[in-house]
Amino acid sequence: MRARAAEILVPLAVLAAFLGTWEYAAAAGWLRPIRFPPPSRLAGSFVDLAFHGFPEGITIWVHAAITVQRILAGHALALALAIPLGLLIGSHALLDRMTAPVVAFCRSVATLSLLPLALVWFGTGEGAKIFLIGYGCFWVMLSATIAAVKLVDPVLIRAARTMDTGGWAIFLRVVLPATLPRLLSGARIALGVGFMVIVGAEMIGTIRGLGSLIMEARTFYRTDITMVGMLCIGAFGLAAMAALEWLEARLVPWQARAEAQTR
Amino acid sequence: MTRLERHAGTIGVVAFLLLWETAARLGWRNPAIMPAPSEAALAALTTIPPGVLAAHVATSLGRVLAGFALGAAAGVALGIAAGWYRPVALVCRPVVEILRPIPPLAWIPVAIVWFGLGEPSKIFVIFLGTFFPVFTAAARGMASIPPVILRAARSMDVDGLRLLAKVAVPAAMPDIATGLRIGFGLGFGVLVAAELIAAERGMGHLVMEARQLGQLGISVFGIFLIGIVNLVADHQLAAAIRRTVGRWHRF
Repeated sequence: MRARAAEILVPLAVLAAFLGTWEYAAAAGWLRPIRFPPPSRLAGSFVDLAFHGFPEGITIWVHAAITVQRILAGHALALALAIPLGLLIGSHALLDRMTAPVVAFCRSVATLSLLPLALVWFGTGEGAKIFLIGYGCFWVMLSATIAAVKLVDPVLIRAARTMDTGGWAIFLRVVLPATLPRLLSGARIALGVGFMVIVGAEMIGTIRGLGSLIMEARTFYRTDITMVGMLCIGAFGLAAMAALEWLEARLVPWQARAEAQTR
Repeated sequence: MTRLERHAGTIGVVAFLLLWETAARLGWRNPAIMPAPSEAALAALTTIPPGVLAAHVATSLGRVLAGFALGAAAGVALGIAAGWYRPVALVCRPVVEILRPIPPLAWIPVAIVWFGLGEPSKIFVIFLGTFFPVFTAAARGMASIPPVILRAARSMDVDGLRLLAKVAVPAAMPDIATGLRIGFGLGFGVLVAAELIAAERGMGHLVMEARQLGQLGISVFGIFLIGIVNLVADHQLAAAIRRTVGRWHRF
């Protein structure tokens, strides 16, 4: 019991000490507040952002809602395309061999380098942002799906065959459930990629969204707002990850147990 | 393995390029919107002297290597320390766990405020992209060393720093290696974004500048270049890891 309390208290104390030192250093004039706005100022900026917004009228909730909406749209689109395609490629060895180099290459193209193409194709509106997020998520999800199908234990499929289960039934009742855990963890990694890409995607051609908030704030030398925006993106990313992990534990409880055992 | 299977990868790549080429030529016809691969390569190679192209690649690689080296060194050192010495973990963890979920790109504005528009701000952002995955992987690798190994070493009177250097760190190497590769990939992705926003050179700048000049073909060429350089660099890193860590572990 005592050890558990220490586990929680020590990190809190460390954080308090960290923030305290920062606050003191700013108050004593060692850190210039324009570069390192003290924590008290950040708290004030957060309240300001929550009620008045920046730029005037667009509160942090609006920014966050737009960012989350863009990520979810791109993520959903990527999953809808990548899962069927991945299942198809993964279950045909020749197709897999043929597409492997293309998939590897497209994955290693930095998503944000497509920004110029996205702007030409979709303009500066929502389309370009959703395309970029979709691209980043798509290749991650596609490789995860292909790997998931290839890693299905062949014994399971043979066992099902001996019980006279036919093609579609094997796919629906054996392959799909067996791939589900990997598909879910692929979806989680893809969402993480979405959160990475969104910041870059929102840096151009918009004043709404957390990514544009932090860039806008910099041009007005409001480092405090930039920092609040960064922390918000981090918090939302963490929350989204936790939600998907919770979903994973609910949907495929056997996987979580198996992982715990191998650890 | 039949002949078809052996060359399947090559066939796939050729088919992909041909498909794109025909789609671009028949479908849109407007190279300003969707240049064909041949047009892209031609546009880039005829308008940009090879020396300039090489300079772009070299600049980008220099940045990513500097940021990666710093991030990997800090991540490995701190991660090992945090995984081995409990007090270090108690101090490092809370701060790292709060900063880790912030996407590296979100640091760009702050990096500019702290370091200005020059090289240090870009290297700093790449450093962050590399540091967090490497730190997490190293700490996790240290934490998941089978206790049997450590007990066996202790029973043979290996202790203290020698235990750390000769037994624990090699045992954690596979995790550290994975972290390094993830960190490199992230650092590379971050580099391009950093170069899109403010740079006079580098592959990201090449891609962005070409768009502003309306030469989408060069943009497409630049995107290909980024993909190829990333792929080659990742292969080199993987080979280096196999040469060093591969002595103890199979991957």
